[in-house]
Order: sequence, then C-alpha cells, then structure tokens
Amino acid sequence: MAASPDVENRVEDITRVRSREIATRVLLAGFALLILAVPFLGASPFFITLLTEALIFGIWAMSLDLLVGYTGLVSFGHAASFGFATYAAGIFAMNVSADFFLSTMVAILTAAAVAFFTGLVVTRLSGIAFAILTLCICQVLFQISVVWRSFTGGLDGLIGVPLPTLFGREVEPGEEFYLLTAATLIICYLLLRRVVESPFGKTLLAIRANEDRAAAIGIDVRRHKLVILILSWMTGGVAGTLFVFLKAGANPMSLYWIESGNILAITILGGIGTLFGPIIGAIGFIFIRDQVTTMYRAWQFSFGLAFVLAVLFMPSGIAGIAERIWRRLWPARS
Amino acid sequence: MAGAFVIEGLHKSFGALHAVNDVSLDIEAGQVHSLIGPNGAGKTTLFNCITGFLRPDAGKVLLNGNDVTHQPSHKLVKSGIVRTFQITQVFGELSARENVELAARSREGLNFDLFRKASACQEAREDAEESLEVVGLIEKAHLRPEELGHGDKRVLEVAIGLALNPEVLLLDEPTAGMSRTETERISRLVRQIADRTSVLLVEHDTEVVLSISDKITVMTQGRVIAQGPPEQISKDPQVQDAYLGAVEVGED
Repeated sequence: MAASPDVENRVEDITRVRSREIATRVLLAGFALLILAVPFLGASPFFITLLTEALIFGIWAMSLDLLVGYTGLVSFGHAASFGFATYAAGIFAMNVSADFFLSTMVAILTAAAVAFFTGLVVTRLSGIAFAILTLCICQVLFQISVVWRSFTGGLDGLIGVPLPTLFGREVEPGEEFYLLTAATLIICYLLLRRVVESPFGKTLLAIRANEDRAAAIGIDVRRHKLVILILSWMTGGVAGTLFVFLKAGANPMSLYWIESGNILAITILGGIGTLFGPIIGAIGFIFIRDQVTTMYRAWQFSFGLAFVLAVLFMPSGIAGIAERIWRRLWPARS
Repeated sequence: MAGAFVIEGLHKSFGALHAVNDVSLDIEAGQVHSLIGPNGAGKTTLFNCITGFLRPDAGKVLLNGNDVTHQPSHKLVKSGIVRTFQITQVFGELSARENVELAARSREGLNFDLFRKASACQEAREDAEESLEVVGLIEKAHLRPEELGHGDKRVLEVAIGLALNPEVLLLDEPTAGMSRTETERISRLVRQIADRTSVLLVEHDTEVVLSISDKITVMTQGRVIAQGPPEQISKDPQVQDAYLGAVEVGED
C-alpha cells in the first residue's frame, strides 16, 4: 500500500537495484564468454553443430520475442521471416556472392520489404486475427516455395549453397562457423537490448498494455507495429541466413506452419519479454529434440505436453523463474 | 497553452439511435466547461467523437479555429487535444513516474527514437517531474499504479494528460468512485490546471460541477437541453426536471 515514502529506504532500494543490474550484466557477460569459449573447451564436432543450430534458433526466437513479448502481437506465422531469408540468402549466395555480410544484407533487406507489405495489412489487427493472418501469409510463402520450382527448387529446396566467406576468406564449417554464429547472436542481443530500452521500445510496452491508451498519449499504434514487425523480420532474416549456410541448403519445411509453432513455443517456454529467455528456450529445444527423437517417435507429443504444462505452471517461462531466483539473491525491497 | 475549442453540430448515430444529436459547444481559452447529463445521455460518445476514437457522422471540431475533425487520436494529441479515460487505464507495469515520462517523451516526438536509452531522456524526465509536482504525486512517483490508492490513480491520469502539454484537456469522470475528500482534491486540481489548459469535464457530481465550472452544457438523450453559467443552469426548470432532481433521488 501507499506507505509514506522513507527517503533512506529509497536510497537503499536504488543502490540495491543498481547492484543487481551490475550483477545481471556480469552474468550475461559471463554467458557470452562461455558461448564464445565452447570450441576451445574440447567440445565434439557434433555438439558444436548442434549448438550452432541452437544459437541460430536463439536469434530467431529473440526476433519473435519483439512481437510476442514486447508488443503483445502473437504471430503464428513467424517461420515466414526465417524461411524467406533462407531462400533470399541462399539464392544470392549460389548465384552472386557467398560473402556473409552481403548475403545477410540481401536477406534482411528483402525480409524488411516483405514485412513492410505484410505489415500494411496485419498491423490493422491484434489478438487472434493477427495470429491467423500471419499464419495465412506464412502458408502463402510456403506454397510459393513449393510451386515456383525454377526459382526455389520446389520440394527439394535449394541444394549446394556454398560456404560463406568473410573478408574474402571461406568460413570453415564446424568451429569457425560456430564462432561466427555466436558473435552474430551476441551482436543481435546487444542491438535488440538497445531497441527495447529506447523510447521506441517503451512505447511498445504501452501498445501491449492497451492500444487505445497508447493512442491517447500520442502514439501512432499502427506505425509502431509496422516498425517492430520489420525489425523482427530483419532479425529473423539474420537467423535464416546463418541457417542456410549451416545446412548448405534451404527447404520449404522452414516455411511450414509447424516451424512457426515450434518457434512460438520456444519463445514462450524461454520467457517472453526478456530477449535472453528465448535464447535459453532455443538451446533447450534443440538439445531435447535431439535426445528425444532418437529415443522414440512420438517426441512431438511429449514436447506439446511439456509446453502445455509449462504454460499452465510457469507462464513467465524459464527466464521468469530464473529472474525470481535472481531477485531473491539480490533483493531490492527491504 | 490553453486553447479555444469549438464543437459545431456534431452527430453520431448507431443505427436508429442518435447517440449524439446536433451538439454544439464553445470553450474559451482557460475555461472549465462541464458536460453533465444522466447515464446514456451521450457524453462519452461525444468524447470519443472529439478524440478520434469514433468517427462523427456530421459536424466539426475546431481547435483555435483549425478544423481537426476526423484526425486520428494520436494526431489529435499532437494538435493539443488530450483525454483521460472514465475507467483508469494507466500502464500497470510501469511506475507512476514512468507512466508520465512515456507521455512526456511522446510529446517531445521521441516515440520513434531507437538510439538512446529511454531512461536517459533528461528533458522528458524533468517534464514528468513537473507534472507530478503539479498534481501532488511527486512523493509517490516511484510507486506502481497498483500500489497507489484509487484517488491517486485518477490524479495520475491527470498528470499523464498534463505531460502531453494539452491546449484542451478532456477529463472523463475524474471523480468517479472517489471519497468526498478525494473529490475535493480533484476539484481543486481541475481549477488549478485551468491556467495552463482549457478543460472539458464530464462529471456526475453536480456539486463539483456547479462549484468549478465556468460554463455547463446539459445533455439528455443525445441532445443539448441547456447551456450556460452555473447559476443559470442550477435554476433552469428543464434541467432540474431532467437531471438535477433525478440525481438526488437516484444517487448511488
């Protein structure tokens, strides 16, 4: 309740919050270092490849968190951003240049263009309508990738995408490509962290809480939704670019609705509105899937069950639980 | 700065129901103008039409002589027409200060700023503090809305409105559900802010309305039945019939 504010307590409060912030930063920096150090700790090539895929999914899940967690827009078609970029970057790499920066640029710029036109329609909506329409748009892209055989390779997809080059030098698959992926993840995280803490990022929270109220303080809700949709697709495009180089090919299944469902589940399980949670969710998903698929075939059933239980019993995801423990270690309120 | 605000012949129908029927009113700069009438008189519909949440079928809204009819809500805010809501709708996960800062940054055109920290916007911070100071919430600025009392929450709505530097501030039942002392606090506040912004007030509490308004418009069933200064309205037999008498009997 609104107790009379005690200045001393407040000062103490602020210093404690600050020390927790510093501790959080140290923890995140430690995590970043650990990720970068994995190849030097004697990890097996198999483990490295699996972790590469997990980190790519981490970037992709962060991009969805921008929509679901920060803006309250649940997209059921987020495979579109990723799958589209696998084709854009793949086709560019096969026909023009396998330069990693150029391919990424092509992927994110074309993804931004598609997101812009998608956004003109979907930003009118929110809630279920937004979810369904994004699903439909993703299915349209999926159909195009299957039917337009001369360009996309149809059901076979793109085969024989070359290794990426960086400053004119080929990036070796395995450890080198892993390091490229890890560095990209860290850069994406830092950039997106800036975005969500910017004035723009705070307006997204307002839109998530109440669109009418947001409009009543002068926020152009549709335009903000459009911008965050474009940023989200661009980030998903970065993930798609890495993926097409990892697999040396693209496949229509990257655009299939099941992938949209997977990435949504990963993001929610990891903890929406945290950016960090979805990375953890992605790592967990990729490794558990790898373990469980070799054990029995109904793994999707167990994943679905785990998802339902998680939503029921830990709605704030893994990151939410971690944050609660973290807050207990660094209590702010006396 | 307080602005002159004019509504001319505003109409809004929902099917056969004329929710707002040929309503005109005129607010001089720095005036407190109150809108009263029984439930269903069309006050909130009028509010929504003025602030871009509904499209009026006919009529004009003028701010300082400029036609602002049919502008979307967020543009109206930039033009200087700012509203609060009948049901408190502040952002629950932000502190009182952050709620007001959000509005202050919006006014300063920082909504699309991606390249700095929101918490580092010094000017917005100062503007927000000034708004909180004016409404008397500065001591509780660090609290979240759920930690504030009902009265404080309503006052926070006003602070958010002020941070947008309005020319006309539309307050939708700011004293709804308030105790007597809290109501007096809001009344004083409304009078006090009238030197920086014109105020259009929707209010049920007739005592409040009669004591703080420069001018009163009375609506029933979508129409204006009387308009004038408080002393004239309180004596108007038609108003007493339609509204003032009824409220005393049926007040909840």
